[in-house]
Amino acid sequence: MLYNLLDVSTSALVAQRTRLNVIAANIASQKAILNANGEYEPYRRRFAVFAPGDPARGTADGVHVASIEVDRGPLRPVYEPGSPFADADGYVSYPNVDPVIEMMNAMEAARSYEANITAIEATKSMITAALQILA
Amino acid sequence: MIEGVTNSDAVPVLERMLQFAGARHRLIVNNIANLDTPGFRPVDVSVGAFQEQIARAIDARRAGLGRFEPADSNQVEFSPTGVRLHPVPVGANILFHDQNDRDLERSMQDLVENFLTFRLAADLLRSRFDLINTAIRERV
Repeated sequence: MLYNLLDVSTSALVAQRTRLNVIAANIASQKAILNANGEYEPYRRRFAVFAPGDPARGTADGVHVASIEVDRGPLRPVYEPGSPFADADGYVSYPNVDPVIEMMNAMEAARSYEANITAIEATKSMITAALQILA
Repeated sequence: MIEGVTNSDAVPVLERMLQFAGARHRLIVNNIANLDTPGFRPVDVSVGAFQEQIARAIDARRAGLGRFEPADSNQVEFSPTGVRLHPVPVGANILFHDQNDRDLERSMQDLVENFLTFRLAADLLRSRFDLINTAIRERV
């Protein structure tokens, strides 16, 4: 029974790590105005959406990433009249990634990750204590 | 179960304590896992109510009824093999914009308290079993 509890915390670790991956991708692509084929298509911010339950194990406990959504918010216009990608007014659209918000989210994800590590430590100690009743 | 040895004294009480702390640990761990889940409401059961149920059962046993049989409450249900919890939303904090009223500090405090309760029960139970062992071996 106690062993299943590690699954609950682990599902949260996986979800938070996925979220951190998405945040890292956002920060890395904050100046990317071309897509993978080299065409003009500014990167749009992504974010992970969490939902309760762990479908990987078919349990109602735990958490999982339900989807990774694209932020439809407005892109950031930057005045660069010399750029080949500038529009009629001389503006180039840059990704709608705000590094401050991304860092905030990264810190929150890291703290949640730590909280779950603490929960795992507690579960481990409880399993050890339960085993020591016998041995 | 050995009549008068493993179902008397503090052993059945400690057993219930272990079962309760183990089951409650699941709730707390799940609350911590869902810290950032939109729409999730942390749930818990009342520890005070559980302690009252246990205290009343101990008093009843002392009064001469002989058996330790704690009564069910609407949150904690006792069966011969374990404890079933019916948790309710805690609602201890303001509701955030993601419809989650998480409270990390309280959750971590619950985690530590519950863990220490579990370990206390486990240690006490072990010392009871050590005593029984000593009696069986007839040697100190």
